[in-house]
Amino acid sequence: MIRPFLTYALVSVFALLPLAGCAEPPAAMPPDSTEINISEAMKESLVYIKVSAYSFEMLQPWRSADLVERSGFGCAVGPNRIITTALNVADAALVEVRRYGRNEYIGAKVKVVDYECNLSLLELDSEAMGEPLRPITFSERYEKGAKLESYWLSGSGDIVAGRGVLDRARVRKSVASYAQFLEYVAAGTSAESGKGRLFSIGGEGIGIACRADTGRQEAGLITAGTINHFLADVVDGEYRGFGVAGFATQSLLDPSLRAKLGMGDGMKDGVYVSKVHKLGTGCDVLKVGDCILKMDGWQLDAYGRYLDADFERIAYDHIINSKEIGEAMTMEIWRDGKSMAIEVPVTNFKVSDMLVPYYEYDKKPEYIVTGGFVIQKLTRNYLAMWGEGFAGKAPPHLYRYYRNHAFDPGDERREIVVLTYVLPAEINLGYHRLGRLVISRFNGMSITCLADVLAAKVLNPDGPFDVIEFEQDNPTVVIPRAELVAADAMIKQAYGIRELSRVDP
Amino acid sequence: MNTSRTANVIRNTLILASLPAIVASQAQGQLRIADAGTNALEKSVVMIRSVSQDFDYVTPWKQMAMGQGSGSGFIIEGNRILTNAHNVSNNKYIEVKKQNLARRYPAVVTFIAHDCDLAVLEILDQSFFGDMVALELGGIPAVNSTVQTYGFPVGGRQLSTTEGVVSRVQMDTYSHSQADAHLVVQTDAAINPGNSGGPVMQAGKVVGVAFQGLRSADNIGYMIPTTVIRHFLADIADGKYHGFGSLGFTFFPGLHSKSYARYLKVPAGTQGIVVLSTMMHSSVENIFQKNDVITKVDNYSIDNDGMVTIYGLSIHMSEVIEQKQIGETVSIAFYRDGELLEQEATVALNRPILAYDRQYDVPPRYVVYAGLTFVPVTRNYLEVWGSSWLADIPFYLRYLFYDSEQLNTDRRRKEYVVLSKILPDEVNSYCLGFEDQVVDSVNGAPIRRLSDLPRALASRDTGFLVIEFLGLERPLVLDVEKAKIAQQRILEKYNVPSATNLEEQI
Repeated sequence: MIRPFLTYALVSVFALLPLAGCAEPPAAMPPDSTEINISEAMKESLVYIKVSAYSFEMLQPWRSADLVERSGFGCAVGPNRIITTALNVADAALVEVRRYGRNEYIGAKVKVVDYECNLSLLELDSEAMGEPLRPITFSERYEKGAKLESYWLSGSGDIVAGRGVLDRARVRKSVASYAQFLEYVAAGTSAESGKGRLFSIGGEGIGIACRADTGRQEAGLITAGTINHFLADVVDGEYRGFGVAGFATQSLLDPSLRAKLGMGDGMKDGVYVSKVHKLGTGCDVLKVGDCILKMDGWQLDAYGRYLDADFERIAYDHIINSKEIGEAMTMEIWRDGKSMAIEVPVTNFKVSDMLVPYYEYDKKPEYIVTGGFVIQKLTRNYLAMWGEGFAGKAPPHLYRYYRNHAFDPGDERREIVVLTYVLPAEINLGYHRLGRLVISRFNGMSITCLADVLAAKVLNPDGPFDVIEFEQDNPTVVIPRAELVAADAMIKQAYGIRELSRVDP
Repeated sequence: MNTSRTANVIRNTLILASLPAIVASQAQGQLRIADAGTNALEKSVVMIRSVSQDFDYVTPWKQMAMGQGSGSGFIIEGNRILTNAHNVSNNKYIEVKKQNLARRYPAVVTFIAHDCDLAVLEILDQSFFGDMVALELGGIPAVNSTVQTYGFPVGGRQLSTTEGVVSRVQMDTYSHSQADAHLVVQTDAAINPGNSGGPVMQAGKVVGVAFQGLRSADNIGYMIPTTVIRHFLADIADGKYHGFGSLGFTFFPGLHSKSYARYLKVPAGTQGIVVLSTMMHSSVENIFQKNDVITKVDNYSIDNDGMVTIYGLSIHMSEVIEQKQIGETVSIAFYRDGELLEQEATVALNRPILAYDRQYDVPPRYVVYAGLTFVPVTRNYLEVWGSSWLADIPFYLRYLFYDSEQLNTDRRRKEYVVLSKILPDEVNSYCLGFEDQVVDSVNGAPIRRLSDLPRALASRDTGFLVIEFLGLERPLVLDVEKAKIAQQRILEKYNVPSATNLEEQI
C-alpha cells in the first residue's frame, strides 16, 4: 500500500519543480529590453477598415447576393495612403476607415489592388482625414528569431498590441491567387492575426498579416520586400505587378532520370520542368523536360530552391517576383544533354487572360441566358461551388480544364464556355436536366469565348433554330427562333432577370 | 441523360442476408405449396453459411482477412439450390443447413452470376435432397398484390416469414455489382440481413429472390423477379454463364422537344430516344450514328422517356434487351435524316474500358517489376480508398472512371493499368510520386493491357526503362541493369510468390 504512494509522490515532486519556476510572479523577472511597446507612436499610423462588399450569386449571376460587411486593418504608407491586403477590399462597394481617437469614418478609394500578391493601396479623402498620417517604413532586413510586435486599431478604437517571433521565411501560394510569393511566418502569435495587421520590429514594419492559423498560433506575413516593391511600382503611376513563373517544376532527385537526361554524376543541382504554360515568365522559351540549373545567377537545387543570402533555401519564384516586369533574367538550363543559357524577360498576365480564371473580383460576372439556357464561362469560383474538396466533387471534365489547362489559353480557346443549367420553360422542354456541359459550337461556329455566343446567335439568320453542340457525348440543344423572343421575355419576368446577358467587351 | 455511366455510380442500397420461403410444388408436382402449410416450406428453404476471403487489389498476391456470413437459399428443380451471389462470393467454404436438423451439408457453387446476384449451389451429398421439395417459379407479381418472404434473417435460427405488398416494378441497380441494372420488384415486406437468397412467394410459387433493401428507408425491400431468374437459369443450361448483354449505346430521352424532333427530321408526333454514342467494338457501332432516333425495339414502341410497355407495365426499354441471351438479336427501328430504317442488332457483353462493376471470385492480376506493382484499374482497386472513394481517388483515376469511354480512342486498348504500390527498395526509392498513376507507355510502347507490360519491361537489357503516365509530364526512369538485379531480391523480401499473375478468368 505504501509503495504506490511513494512512487506517486516522487513523480509529483519531479513534476512540480518546473511548475514552481513558472509560478514566479512576472514582476520578479528582469525586464526584457528587446520588448518595446510603441503603441502610442502607432496611433497616427494605424486605421480600422470597414468594407461593404457586393457580390453576385454564381448560379444566378444576374442577382446580387446580400451586401456583406467586413472589416480589416491597415497602416499608413503616406500622409493619406494606407496599405492593406487585397482580400480586405475585394468586391468593395464602399471602403471607409477610422483613425485613432476619431468617431467618424473617412471615405477611402482603392487606388491599386493586386490579388496576386494580395496587397492594396487605399487613398483617403484628404479633406475629411484631418491631420496627415504618420507613414510606417518597411525594413527588408530579415532577422530570423527576432521578437515581433503586431499592432492594429480595433473596431472599438483601441490600439491593440500582440507579440510573436519571426520564425521562418518560405515561398508559398498567395492567399488570394495562384501566384507563389515569399512569406514570413510569425510564430507564437497571441490572437487572430490576419487581415492586414502590422508586424514590426522596434516600430519598423516587416510585413502585414495575410493569414492566421490560430490553432498553431502562427501568422503569415506579406513581406516588407513585397510591400516595398508594390509601393515603388505604384509611384510612377503605371502599376505593372509582379513577375510570375510560366512553368511548373518537379524535384529532380532521381539519379536514373538525371542519368537519362545525360547529367553526369557530378551534377547534383537543377530542377525538372514538368509543365510549360502559355502565360508567364519563361513560357515561350522553356520546354517540358528542361532542367533549370541557374536562375539569374542563383544555383537551383533539385527541389528548385536556391540559397538566399537572407532567407536560406527558398523556391525560385522569389527570384522571379523580385524582378521588374520586362526586366531580363538569364536562366541556365540543361537541354538535350548540354547546358545552355537563355534570356527570359520577366512577365505576368491578367487573371482574365487565364483559360480558367483563378478569381473574379471587382466585376460583375458574365453570362448569357437564351431560351432559358444559362451560359457562363468556367472559373475557379464556379468550381468552388462544389465546396471544400471540389476536386473530388466537380465534374471531372470541367475540373480537368482548371487543373491541367488553366494557364493555357490559345487562339482556339480563350475561355471555357459552359451551359451551366437550364431555367425550365416550355421552350426548353426535354432539356431541363442538362447542365455542366462545355459548349463546342453554337450555330455551327466554334466557341472560343463567351462573347462568341452572342456573335454566333446572329448566324444563319434564316434558319429556324439556334443549335448548341457540346463536348463529349451529349445531346444537341435546339431552340426554336420563332418562339425565342416571347420565351425570353417570359423567362426574364418569371425568373427575375433584369438583363438576359452581360458580356464584357 | 440515360447512360449506364450516370446510372451506376452510387446507390444507397444495402445487401441483405438470407430469407426462407414457402413450399412450392416439386418439379414433378407431387406437392403444392399453397396446400402444404408452413411446414412444407421447411423442406424447400435452407440456411447458407459461407466463409469468404476478399482479395487485396493493391498488393494482389495477398488476401484480406476471412469473414463469415449467412444467408438463405431454396431448392429448385434439378437438385439445385438457388441463392444470391453475394451470399457465396469469394467463398472458401460453404455449408447448408436444413430447418430443424443439426447436420451441415458442405456445398459448392456451380454457377454464379455477379451481374444479377444469383448463384446455384450443389450439395455434394445427394441424400440431402431426399426429403426436400423444389419450388416452382411464377410470374411477375401484380402491384399491390400480397407476397410472403421466407428465410433466415438475423435474430434467430428458425425459418422466418414476413408478408407485404408489391409496391413497384422497375429497373434498378443491383448493389452486389454496383453497376448492373435489371428489373426489380419492390415490396414493403420486411427484408433483413439474412433474408438474402430466400424466396418471395405468391400463390405457392416463387415470384422473386429477396436480395437488397434501401438503407435510408423503412420497409423498402427488393427482390429479383423471375424474369431475371429464368434468364440466369437459361443462360447456364449450356454449362457456362455468359451474363446479361446489351446493345452498347447511350441515348438521350429528348424528343419532348418538338424543335429537337424537327431538327432530327422525325415525323411530328413520333416518340423515341436519341442516340448519343456507341461503344467501341459494340455490335451497334456500325449501325447507329449520333442523332439517330430509335422508335422501336422488336415490337415494342419506345416513348420519349425511353420506356416500353411490357408485362403490362411501363418499363425501361432495356428490359427488352434483358430478355435476350448474348448472341441473340433484336430488331431496331430508327430514323436517320428523315428516313425510317430497320436493322438487326446483336446482344453482346459490352464492357466499358474501365468496368464499373465490382468483381468477385477472380484473383486480381498483377505484374511486379523492381518493386513497382502494376494492376488493372478496376472498381475494386478504386474502392480501396474507402467509402468516399469516388471523391478521394486521384484525379486522373476519377476522370477515367467517369469518362473512360470518351477518353479512350485506342481501339486496341483492353484496360487501363495503374502503378498500385511500390515495394520500397533502393532501386525505386525515388519513385514515390508515381503511385496510383495510370501507365501510358514503357519506352514508347503503349500499354493497352496488363499483359503488355512484361514484354515492354523486358524490352531492354541495358540503359533505361522510361515509363510514361497519363496526365503526368514527368516520366519514371529505371536503370535496367539495377532493376534486373533487384527483382528477385524484392520478390523474396516482400514474399511475393510470383512476379506476375496474368491469368484472365471470365
